[in-house]
Amino acid sequence: MSGHQGAKRHYETEVLIIGGGVTGTGIMRDLALRGIHSLLIDRQDLNAGASGGNHGLLHSGGRYVAADAETAAECRAESELLKRLAPECIDPCGGLFVAVEGDDPEFAARFPDHCAVAGIPCEEISPTEARKMEPALSEKVYAAYQVPDATVDPFRLTLQNVNHARRLGFGDFLPHMGVEGFDIEGGELKAARCRDLRSGEEVLISARQIVNAGGAWAMNIARLAGCADVNLIYSKGTLIVSNTRLSQRVVNRLRLPGDGDILVPGGTVSLLGTSSVTIEDPDDARPTIAEVDKILAEGAVMMPPLADTRFIRAFSGVRPLLMASGAAEDGRKASRGFSLITHEDQNLSNFVTIAGGKLTTFRLMAEKTGDLVAQRLGNSAPCATHTVPLPTENAVGWTEPGFAARDWYQRADASDMILCECEMTPQSAVDAIVSDAPGSEHHMSLQAIALRSRVGKGACQGAFCAMRVTSHLYDRGIYDSPEGLELMRDFVTERFKGVRPVLWGRQLPQMELAETLHCGLTGLDLLGAKKPGSGRAS
Amino acid sequence: MKRELRRVETGLAIIGAGLAGFAASIFALRRGLDTAQLGHTGAIAYTTGYFDLLGVMDGRVLDEPWAGLDALREAEPAHPFARLGNDEIREAFEIFTDAISDMGIAYSKPGDHNLSALLPSGVAKPTLSVPATMLPGVEAFRTGAKTLIVDFPGLQGFSATEFKVNFAASWPALSVCRIEFPGFEGQQLYPEVLARSLEAPHGREPLAEKIRAVLDGAEYVGLPAVLGMHAPDEVHADMERRIGARLFEIPTIPPAVPGIRLREMFERELPRRGLVLVPQLKVSRSELGADGAVHHLQGPLEDLEISARATLLATGRFLSGGLYADQAGLRETLLGLPVVQPSGRDNWYRRDYLDPRGHQLNRAGLETDAQFRPLDAAGAPVNPRLFAAGAVLAHQDWVRQRCGAGLAIAAAYGAVKAAAEMLNGSA
Amino acid sequence: MMSGQDIDQMEVMNFQKLAHELLPGGASFESCIACGLCASGCPASGFYGMDPRRFIRMAMLGLNEELSRTPWVWTCTQCKRCQYVCPMSIDVSVLVAAARSNWPKAKVPKGIMRSCDAQLRDVSTSAMGVRSEDFVEIVEETAEELRGSDRRFADIKVPVDKKGAEFIINQNSREPAAEPEELAPLWKIFDYVGADWTYASKGWAAENFCMFTGDDELWKQMVKTRVDAINELGCKTWINTECGHSFYTIWKGVERFGLKADFEAGSLVSYYAKWIREGKLPVNSDWNRDNLKFTLQDPCQLVRKSIGDPVADDLRFVARTLVGEDNFIDMQPGGNANYCCGGGGGFLQAGMSEQRRAYGRRKFDQIATTKADYVLTPCHNCHSQMEDLGEFYGGQYRVVHFWTLICLSLGILGPDERKYLGPDLAGIGLET
Repeated sequence: MSGHQGAKRHYETEVLIIGGGVTGTGIMRDLALRGIHSLLIDRQDLNAGASGGNHGLLHSGGRYVAADAETAAECRAESELLKRLAPECIDPCGGLFVAVEGDDPEFAARFPDHCAVAGIPCEEISPTEARKMEPALSEKVYAAYQVPDATVDPFRLTLQNVNHARRLGFGDFLPHMGVEGFDIEGGELKAARCRDLRSGEEVLISARQIVNAGGAWAMNIARLAGCADVNLIYSKGTLIVSNTRLSQRVVNRLRLPGDGDILVPGGTVSLLGTSSVTIEDPDDARPTIAEVDKILAEGAVMMPPLADTRFIRAFSGVRPLLMASGAAEDGRKASRGFSLITHEDQNLSNFVTIAGGKLTTFRLMAEKTGDLVAQRLGNSAPCATHTVPLPTENAVGWTEPGFAARDWYQRADASDMILCECEMTPQSAVDAIVSDAPGSEHHMSLQAIALRSRVGKGACQGAFCAMRVTSHLYDRGIYDSPEGLELMRDFVTERFKGVRPVLWGRQLPQMELAETLHCGLTGLDLLGAKKPGSGRAS
Repeated sequence: MKRELRRVETGLAIIGAGLAGFAASIFALRRGLDTAQLGHTGAIAYTTGYFDLLGVMDGRVLDEPWAGLDALREAEPAHPFARLGNDEIREAFEIFTDAISDMGIAYSKPGDHNLSALLPSGVAKPTLSVPATMLPGVEAFRTGAKTLIVDFPGLQGFSATEFKVNFAASWPALSVCRIEFPGFEGQQLYPEVLARSLEAPHGREPLAEKIRAVLDGAEYVGLPAVLGMHAPDEVHADMERRIGARLFEIPTIPPAVPGIRLREMFERELPRRGLVLVPQLKVSRSELGADGAVHHLQGPLEDLEISARATLLATGRFLSGGLYADQAGLRETLLGLPVVQPSGRDNWYRRDYLDPRGHQLNRAGLETDAQFRPLDAAGAPVNPRLFAAGAVLAHQDWVRQRCGAGLAIAAAYGAVKAAAEMLNGSA
Repeated sequence: MMSGQDIDQMEVMNFQKLAHELLPGGASFESCIACGLCASGCPASGFYGMDPRRFIRMAMLGLNEELSRTPWVWTCTQCKRCQYVCPMSIDVSVLVAAARSNWPKAKVPKGIMRSCDAQLRDVSTSAMGVRSEDFVEIVEETAEELRGSDRRFADIKVPVDKKGAEFIINQNSREPAAEPEELAPLWKIFDYVGADWTYASKGWAAENFCMFTGDDELWKQMVKTRVDAINELGCKTWINTECGHSFYTIWKGVERFGLKADFEAGSLVSYYAKWIREGKLPVNSDWNRDNLKFTLQDPCQLVRKSIGDPVADDLRFVARTLVGEDNFIDMQPGGNANYCCGGGGGFLQAGMSEQRRAYGRRKFDQIATTKADYVLTPCHNCHSQMEDLGEFYGGQYRVVHFWTLICLSLGILGPDERKYLGPDLAGIGLET
């Protein structure tokens, strides 16, 4: 990569991948294993969209058996692969499907047959046994089945994808890089015109192939290339996160997927979801109070203790759903779950959009995209992601809930100061992320560190750790200007979006304390406010 | 063996052990009222130690808080400050800071202007009165004096560099130094522990020696707030003498010294001044009657029953337990008093966390009349013997307005005055 | 203290679940706001990487194996200061007790387990192996010596198993086992005020190491032996001697295990105060001619965990009266907010001297700040720990029982009852 063309930053790469979600990073790794260099960019940072806004369920497929046997089978096959190749990203906790009084008994009765069709192991257990396994289950559960559901840490998966490509020497990642247009010439996208959204600088990226893995933003990106053949509907899904882990297994309601019907363990917490609301703008995906209340009311039918549980945040992801017509017209539909759109009928020969799909099938989506890109580049190396294990290393292991705490406790090195007490994340973890994690080539902020660790994800939701990590970053010279405080402000503002809908009960005192600290002790609400006569004041 | 029952009769029962509660006790004792204070410590533990009167209005930083109060009464006639005149508030503030100075933590006299007090983030805070141990920092900042900021490895969330970088534009003469706190090398440090170690005379010289070695001509030295716990002024003076420079404390993130210092001082000193203090127990139940109230508490070994002819609620908000919120709404926890609150959770918080206007929920609380008596839904006093003060009151946003101490002190003053008039009239 | 293999074999407890079951709703781990006031105020913070907040956080993160196995639970003295300073009143010590109960008996610190075993061996419930009949004999012999050596006490009665006596008092084993001459001052005080009192031959011992093992059954057994003995004698009031946890263990045990106790419980300190106020103990500070300075250690088990302010006030009243208003310097913080000395909860006997002394460093600093010549405390564990701290850190103070000073003031302290007095006081009252 080199800068030329005057002041404008310029990068050259074989393949430009737009979108740092699990699909984009999966493609990056897929290509790297074939010896193809790619540059990955994201308008924000890794997993900023649906890849970071989901429940981390590694589907057995059970959830789709009734409606979509093909997707269900795909999920089963992919989740088996991932369990083998990326075991450290996965908690093979198992899952239960339970029917509660009032749920359609026929639907429940057909469940084992549906599973059999999709090849998903399914074992019926008695309600008593189910309650023994998961004591929080309602007394009103009348049918229960055990399936091999698991959970996956999508952040670690993404970080490891990028890291593997980096270590192979075939991938680079640029966060905060927004695409504003493309230079189109002779049926090819010659370059992407981008902007570094932190510095405001214009950036030009030339590439032989351009992959649009923009998730919910894929339609907007395609339109910048003049393509009208990506048609998405945005479905917002909201989840709420509890302070502790409420069940050992994934607990699904045995009915067609609806609101508040799945409780997924997330290591040390549980996630209750989801809602499904169609929205106009994928950038407008805040969780709402109405959604939270609805999810919780429904969830409590299945697991009554939820009603008295402390929730620490809510978050929303946007599911980009393909409009059937668009997918059908394309004709190269890889499955009913996702779509590879070549844009050849839009008179473009080096542009591809991968859209739809699920977290569980990201590898398969990356494989199909990689196959096309490799073929276009004349590279005959086969896909290797179904045989090569996904390597891990220290700098990408900190998103795992509970890991930092266990690690620190074992070392008990008091000089390695803990910065996040809720999740027991020490300064050495922050240092490792700042120096080695994907994105470390660029300016690391509190937000970026939080994305790559558990900082800010515990009970205090950034009340304390935002201040402690910020101080540490100043000490380390990572921050060297008042911008560090602005980044703290941005971080706690962002956290608040998720906290706001669950502010009642035992989370409210936590919030009250946070506001006192962020305003009264740190002055974040008045950054930049001028006091007559002197410097900055709060 | 049966549980003991201890009965106490008192004139005024003050419920709550925060700044408002302790201020109320000071005012009540001064008025000669037979006073008992009950309740568990809440948010006072988290204070910076700065006593704000009014630092911000409409997102603007105020230099003149008294003029600000005049404007506030106009703009927010329901604000608790609007129940009192400036002369009363000034008197209350002065009595309070004099009282605590007398009890062992010297505070600066409230003046006509706000002070620019120092925050660890390297931002100044408009406040009215600061502990004597922190006052030299205000001077150093004002004069731009050559100042050394010292921090300690192992002390979470305090970075001299952060302080320096953020003050650099308005205070270029800052330098920083990180030194190991003697005797606590390689450990996680708690300001409270350091403060107590400096209380012991043998703890001071090793630190002073280390600071002297790096002084390099600095006129002032700033440290995290660790200069002693129960005799901070003595520790401060002794350390200044040993170091040979003016010395000041900077507040730290919780668990921090200034709040613990105040709490321990109140708990130690007020009973000596005649207060019946039952600290660290929560009032489990209260019964209001025509002649007063009975408050019940459960100790480990005995039950307590406090009969009071008047009661002052200074129970704070969510953190201190005076208010509780469930999904449906807010309630007052002890007596089930009506709580003025926004309709529905969607109106509790704005979408932007740090919106300078603050949040609607912050202004929820108890509605009171001019005598600080909580009102029922019909707007009549719930009970003529019941009063309220401090953060539990509605129509204020003490965090954003930087008026926490002022609100606690002024409302306590007003409520105690009204309670005393009621008691003296009815006695 | 434990090999890796032993630790691995320990059962894993679910601390989240236990916290939910054992703590009250508003004060359970779920209410923690992670502020760290508990950790800041806990002298055991830092040992084995643990502190009270970390205990809560780790429970919430599901680190049950780590919590089930951490030896930190033996460095926590269960003093409940964490609960005292917590805005949510979360009591970590309850979960520490649960964690202790999970340790196999063979792995419980030997000093605690051996003492508990000794207590179980005889109805005396003595941790120092003083059997019931030995106790009766030692008491009788010591009383006989007293009668012979001091004419003023030629007729002193030291009743054992006197049915229907108004007061029944327990006795820490340290005196009969190691320093019987220290028995007498208390008898003299009873004699002076004319109290109708007795010892019980069964369950007289004022220590309960079984409680410190965390095993409720053993705690219960210990308390039951004592309560039964007191019930049997039909005494109106049980007075706890100058000892902290032996008071807590009885009243809390009676409440916790639903035992039937036909008596009231009182602290000896409260009676000292009462008798002084009533003029029955006409003590004053005249003996303190050199204006020696005294401070006071509030035993957590007696003050914060049991009676609270009333006994803290009594302690100060007695101390001030005894040593002179101006010669009494309170430790900061004191009363309910006081720090544990580091000898409590079995820590003194647990063999973890390095940690115990590091814990006690804060107590040493507190004492040093008062510049006191003597520390008064009505607790044997506090007494031993503070003596050890003084020796270890080079303190110039001594630690004394209240009974020593009371008798000194009354002019009835015998020449061999001055073990804990320094040369500055050793001769007071013996000149004539």
